[in-house]
Amino acid sequence: MTDDQLDERIRGAAREYNAPPATPREEMWARIAEARRDRVPEPRVIPLRRRRWRWAGLAAAAAALLAVGVGIGRVSVAPEASVWEVPSAKGAAYRLAAQEHLGQSEAFLTLFRASLQQPGDHRLAAASARQLLATNRLLLDSPAAGNPKTRLLLEDLELVLAEIAQLSPSSRAEDLELIREGIEQGGVMPRLRTAVPAGAAPTQGVL
Amino acid sequence: MQAGLEWLPGDFSQPFRPHRCPIAEDRDPHAPEPVSDAELIDRVLAGDPEAERALYDAHVDRVFRLVYRMAGDLDRAQDWVQETFIRAFEKLGDFRGESALSTWLCSIAMSVSLNGLRKVKRFREREVALDDAPPVGFTPREADPDLKTRLAQAIEDLPEGYRAVFVMHDVEGFTHEEIGRTLGVQPGTSKAQLFRARAKLRQALADFAGDRNV
Repeated sequence: MTDDQLDERIRGAAREYNAPPATPREEMWARIAEARRDRVPEPRVIPLRRRRWRWAGLAAAAAALLAVGVGIGRVSVAPEASVWEVPSAKGAAYRLAAQEHLGQSEAFLTLFRASLQQPGDHRLAAASARQLLATNRLLLDSPAAGNPKTRLLLEDLELVLAEIAQLSPSSRAEDLELIREGIEQGGVMPRLRTAVPAGAAPTQGVL
Repeated sequence: MQAGLEWLPGDFSQPFRPHRCPIAEDRDPHAPEPVSDAELIDRVLAGDPEAERALYDAHVDRVFRLVYRMAGDLDRAQDWVQETFIRAFEKLGDFRGESALSTWLCSIAMSVSLNGLRKVKRFREREVALDDAPPVGFTPREADPDLKTRLAQAIEDLPEGYRAVFVMHDVEGFTHEEIGRTLGVQPGTSKAQLFRARAKLRQALADFAGDRNV
């Protein structure tokens, strides 16, 4: 049997893969409607032409708010909120660990992307990715991942690191291209840079 | 990614072909003229609950089919479809109309499904770690199920990107252009992933190549 014939048999059998039953419309709608009722509605976007008359009022309110904000800022010193802030004192250790990990990951991915320009053996990169992947999984299970943004960033990072960890000398250019696309399309690098404050990203131990 | 949307920049520059939508194909010819998506969106944004329901009714079948194919479990599929529509209603103000609404909804649905599958995978990995791991490298031939069962397992073992493309293309009949817009990748990437997914499936099912009676 040729590959094409086997493909055809596979496609035929695949049509029954997870064959969906009838859509449970009412059941799902009841839960969607309930969830929608329970949520605080977000401010609606009003088309520009309708809200033009409100500009003066909005500008005055914004100016007042800005003045109050500046005043408050001058009399108080509040730590800058960050993506992975854990809202308790005991979360500080996890926060620091997450910060260091994200900083190391950013440095690693920066070097890895640069290395894609030249052909070569990516076994060292795969080994480093495996180390980072292990830390990443620990952090995903820790309170550091309690913040939804941190969790999402760690989950995306996990996918990228897992792909790099699987590289071998026999990996093809297509594999590298898919990894590069994964990094770029997920916006992983900008989000890592946003998550890690400047100068707070020790890189030792990875490179 | 937010559970979602950030990784779906997508190329929404080409129009979606609505004839593939099963809703459109199955529509009752005597039913009243359907309301356009643009009109429904305006009404939903204006806070019309009936429009929310109409929008849901117009698209839920396609979304459910796709999500169920990925989930393979009714409870999970229902949860993910619900999450898809809840997110869609919350983000509807950000929908720019550069793609069809059905494509945008499928993008959210795939994002929710892939995130859900990752969680399921992690959960299963923990379970396996706790239990006694099965012996590796020994698969008794008499326990081999038929092609469909083996195929289902092989599809589930595919890397998630390959699996998404294979399910969308070979099972649900999306084109590479539609897959590209839905997953936020180039059609060429979709083709490459499908090629590799098929190769992996052929490899996994190689022993069926000589068996014409299964």
